Amino acid sequence: MAEIRIAQATPPAAGRGAATPPPAAGRGAQRTGPVMAGQLIDLILTRLGAPNRPRSNDRLVAGDPLTPVTGIATVAMATLDALKAAAAAKKNLILTADATWWSEGDGLVGMEGNPTFRAKRDFIRANNLVVYRIADHLADARPNPIADGMARGLGWEEQTVEGGETVRFRLMPTNLLDLSRFLKERLGARTLRVVGDPALPVRDVAAIWGRATQMPAIRALRSDIDVLVVGYTFEWEAVLYVQDQIAIGLKKGLILLGQVPSLQGGMKHFAGWLAGQITEVPVEHIALAEGWWNLERPVNEITTTL
Amino acid sequence: MSLSAALSRRSFLAMGAAGASLAGTGAQAQRRTLTAGQVLERMKANLNTPWREGVGVDRFIAGGPDTAVRGVATVMMASFDALKDSLKAGCNFVITHEPTYWSHQDRLDELRDDPLYKVKLDYLTRGDMAILHLHDHWHAHRSVDGIHVGTARVLGWSQYMHKDNPRYYTVPPMTVLDMARHIQARMKARTLRVIGDPGQTVSRLYASYGNFGGLSGAQIFENVDVMVIGEAQDWDLPMFVRDSLAAGRDKALIVIGHVLSEQWGMEYAAEWLRGFVKEVPVRYVPIIEPYWNPERPVMEINTRL
Repeated sequence: MAEIRIAQATPPAAGRGAATPPPAAGRGAQRTGPVMAGQLIDLILTRLGAPNRPRSNDRLVAGDPLTPVTGIATVAMATLDALKAAAAAKKNLILTADATWWSEGDGLVGMEGNPTFRAKRDFIRANNLVVYRIADHLADARPNPIADGMARGLGWEEQTVEGGETVRFRLMPTNLLDLSRFLKERLGARTLRVVGDPALPVRDVAAIWGRATQMPAIRALRSDIDVLVVGYTFEWEAVLYVQDQIAIGLKKGLILLGQVPSLQGGMKHFAGWLAGQITEVPVEHIALAEGWWNLERPVNEITTTL
Repeated sequence: MSLSAALSRRSFLAMGAAGASLAGTGAQAQRRTLTAGQVLERMKANLNTPWREGVGVDRFIAGGPDTAVRGVATVMMASFDALKDSLKAGCNFVITHEPTYWSHQDRLDELRDDPLYKVKLDYLTRGDMAILHLHDHWHAHRSVDGIHVGTARVLGWSQYMHKDNPRYYTVPPMTVLDMARHIQARMKARTLRVIGDPGQTVSRLYASYGNFGGLSGAQIFENVDVMVIGEAQDWDLPMFVRDSLAAGRDKALIVIGHVLSEQWGMEYAAEWLRGFVKEVPVRYVPIIEPYWNPERPVMEINTRL
C-alpha cells in the first residue's frame, strides 16, 4: 500500500465549489498514510462543488469506504469489463456516471442468487474495488465536466453556444448524414441511430448527454435547433415527437448515440480534472467498448474471460 | 408560426370525396351508422379478458364513442404519418397500440400550448377522427397476448411458443447471428442491435416486445440463452447481458426497435376486428421504422400534410 498524501486544496475550477472548505482529509497538507475511499469521495464531491440533491442515485454502490485506495478510475458505466480493466490498471476506486447494478437506483432486491450478480460481486470483493455513482454531482457541477469533455472530444469547444436549457452548438454548415458519420467515427458509436432526412441542412445542434427524458427533449426539439443529439430517449416519446415534427414539414433531426458514447468523453475529461486535484493517487479514465453490434459489423467486443 | 394554416387543402379534399361517396347512400347508410363506441363494445366482448375501465392507459385519445366510423385502421403508434395513411385508406377510427401524444399516458399537462400538439389535434378534428389507445388490453388478449400472436406469425415461430407462457420459445438451435438475420429479414428491422457472441448457439428464447425495463430480466435469463426485446435503456437489461458475457456466461440480447417489434400484433388486431366489424373496412396500416444508420441512410417520413 503506497503512502499517499493529499495535496493542499486548490480552488477548483468549479466556481461554486470555491467557497466550500475542503473536508478533513484534505486539510492537513502534510497528512500521510493510506487514504481511504470514503475520504477521497468526500474530497472529490467537495472539490466538484455541487451540493447534494435531496434525492439522488449518487452513492457508494459497491465496496467498503474504508478500503485503502491504489488509484482512481472514471468510467461511463461500471460494467464488469470496465471493472476488470480498472483492476488490471491497479485502480480500485471507480467513479461511474451510470449504473453498476443494472437499474437507475442500483437496487439489489432479488439479486443474491443470480450468477451474474455473484460473479460481479465476487470480482469486486476479490479486487478490493469501491464503486461510487457520481452522475448527479457531475450534472450539477459548473463548469460541467461531462459537457466540457464531450465538446472537447468532438472538437466543438469553439462552437459552444451558452445560455440554453441544454448544451448548444453552432456548427459549420453540414447535413444530418455527415453529422451522423462524424459522430459515429469520433465517438466510436458504431450502432448509432438517426431519425430524419439524411440531407437535412444542419447548423444548430442541441445535445443531452446520457439519457434524455421526454422533457427536456421535446423542449429542445421545438427550440430553434436543427438536430438534437442524445444518448438515449424512448421511442414513444421524443422519437415519435421528432417524427411528427418532420411529418408536418418541419426541418428536424434526432441522433441516438447510445449511453456509453454519449458520456465517456465527459468521464475522460473528468479524470483529467481529478488528476489535477488529487496528485498522489493516480487517476485514469477507462474507455469502454460500445458493447452493441449490428448486422453491418457483427463483432462482439466484450471479453468473456474473468 | 401558423402551423395549423399549413394543413394543405389537398388532404381534406380527398377526405371530402370519401365522405361524399358514403353520404350518397342515404337513409340506408344512416341506419347502419357504426360508432366507435359500438366497435369498442364488440372488442370488449371478444378479448376473452375483462375490460378494466380507467385502469392503465387504454381510452379514447381523440373523438369518442359517438364518432361515426367510416373505416377502422389498426396502427402500432399513432404517428402523424400513421394518421395520414389511415385517412388515405378511408379509415377515421384509429386503434393504436402506442401513444398519440408522446408519452405512455398521453399526458398533455406540459403540451397544451405545444405547436405540434395543436396541429395534430386540428388534423384529427378536421378529419373527424377517433383514436382508441389499445395497449394493456391487447397484451391481455387471450388465449395469447395479441402482440405475441402477430410476432410469432411473422417470425414463423408459432409452433415453438410454450403453451404455458407465450413469451418463452424453444426454437431450433441457431447462432445468435443467424437469429438476428432472421429477425431482421422478417421484420425489416434495419437498425436492429445485438449484445452477445455472434457465433453462440441459442435455442431457449424469451421474447418481450416493446420496452423492457427492470431487473426481472436478470431472473428470466436463468432460463434462456437469448432475449428478444423492442427497446431498453443501456444501463438496464443490455448492461446485464454485457456483464453476463464478461462473466463468461453465454447470453445474448437482440433489440429490434419498439415499433418493429410489436406492429405485427396490430396486423393481427385488424384480422381479429374483421371477425366482428363487418359494416366498414378494417385495415392494418404499417408504420415506418423510425431510424436509419449511417451505412444505409433513408428518408421514409411523409413530410406533406
